[in-house]
Amino acid sequence: MKKSLIFSGSGGQGVVSAGMMTAKAAVEGGKYATFLPEYGPEQRGGSAKCTVVIDDSPVVSPLAKKCDVLVCMNELSFSKFKTQLREGGVLLLNSNRVTSEVKRDDITVISLPVDDIADEIGNPKAANIVIIGALIGATNIITEDEFLDSLKKKFASKAPAIMEMNTVALRRGIELGQKQ
Amino acid sequence: MSKVFMKGNEAIAEAAVRAGCRFFAGYPITPQNEIPEYLSWRLPEVGGVFVQGESEVASVNMVYGAASSGCRAMTSSSGPGISLKSEGISYLASTKLPAVVVNISRGGPGLGSIQPAQMDYLQATKAMGHGGFRVMVFAPSTLQEAVDLTYNAWDYAERDRNPVLILMDGCLGAIMELVELPEFKSADREGTKHWDLKRREGENRKARLLTPYYPEAMLEHENTMRGQLYKEWEENDVKVEEFMLDDAEYVIVAYGISARVSREAIFRLRAEGFKVGMIRPITLYPFPKKSFQNLNYDLVKGIIDIELAIPAQMRDDIALEVKDRAPVYTYGHSGGILLDDESTYNAIKKIVTGGAK
Repeated sequence: MKKSLIFSGSGGQGVVSAGMMTAKAAVEGGKYATFLPEYGPEQRGGSAKCTVVIDDSPVVSPLAKKCDVLVCMNELSFSKFKTQLREGGVLLLNSNRVTSEVKRDDITVISLPVDDIADEIGNPKAANIVIIGALIGATNIITEDEFLDSLKKKFASKAPAIMEMNTVALRRGIELGQKQ
Repeated sequence: MSKVFMKGNEAIAEAAVRAGCRFFAGYPITPQNEIPEYLSWRLPEVGGVFVQGESEVASVNMVYGAASSGCRAMTSSSGPGISLKSEGISYLASTKLPAVVVNISRGGPGLGSIQPAQMDYLQATKAMGHGGFRVMVFAPSTLQEAVDLTYNAWDYAERDRNPVLILMDGCLGAIMELVELPEFKSADREGTKHWDLKRREGENRKARLLTPYYPEAMLEHENTMRGQLYKEWEENDVKVEEFMLDDAEYVIVAYGISARVSREAIFRLRAEGFKVGMIRPITLYPFPKKSFQNLNYDLVKGIIDIELAIPAQMRDDIALEVKDRAPVYTYGHSGGILLDDESTYNAIKKIVTGGAK
């Protein structure tokens, strides 16, 4: 079943790497995926967005106007992309930075203070992992095992401490994602 | 064979290395930067040479030099940089040297935008430099196709002693997708000896390349031979995908990323009972003329050219083959605005339901 996901926020929030990690986890889990980053000419700051399409067969088009999952890490990206979420879709918000009201009742909204959660864990950079956790908790697009196995390939040998911290961040996100 | 989740630009770079490319010179420009970045560390690993030239002009001439020594050489750029390289590409064609040039295209004209576009079709297929020569133009639509076409590009370039152009939009350059990488080809080949200036051990031969200045009669002869070569390409080397054409009443023509978005729309329209198919040129030059000649015009009600270019550039080539047997519609975006599945589907549907001019 084809699913398209848009990850959005500002440069530096780990939005593009969140999309890439999700796509990689899907591919390593035996599915097909495309990852498309979109960025402006800014070196830092500015807005960051990427589109991930995951399917059971090779992805036809990597471009998607409407998505099944929308991740917004800041207010600007929320106002920019909120209309692209399909009816019945899942909206994942960083409530530390998205403060305006979600005026839709045809979607599932998961709003988490992922910046605060990442701070509590002791790694402010892990906010994107927390939101991926929430994605895993709320949908069945990728599984916890797929994501952790994929992450292990990236971090385990080089930085076991980072792997450990990311595992904690992911599990916290999953837990909160399942609750909402 | 190994499967890797790779970025388009990097997949092209790795395919080049596996095809035996051992020299790259280029100059930075978005959206092709991952090609030189990747090759800057990858080529030294396999005993090759990477040079960031002081300009596009210098880079293409370094490729000219490397090709003269029998080395499989490549350069890459995007629109504005390709224009600068066009002089060198014309000289490569004139001297009959094989090389591969990659254009990861962006919005134009001029500096245009850094966002993906397909606005270099005319430049690529009609005049990749001055002097009326042609190059084969490969236009991949998936990263696997990008790998396969790059991997084989030097075989065509060396067979014809002519540069080959890979034209891919910045969108495919930026996406990541699963690709299967081929085995390494040997870079040291007997076949290069007709233009290779390197003297081989124990060899008495003085290899010589003609400078690109010919006496008139010889130049005419060379150009006649070139014309012959381009005809042979049309006969033997056209690559095209014909998709769901058997009963098609409307035929989409699209390449690269536009073909992928169009295919998605075709699946949706077919599910609704609309008879839509697609001709997807893989070689933009030679253009797949026969695919248009073979259409059943009693059935075909319209041809829809979909491109990331305004005005549409492939339209003229299509119209030349369709010869007024069906109307040719165009749809697209330009300047860096991407096509998307929704609006492309809507645009096609409007045409097939008779709502468009």
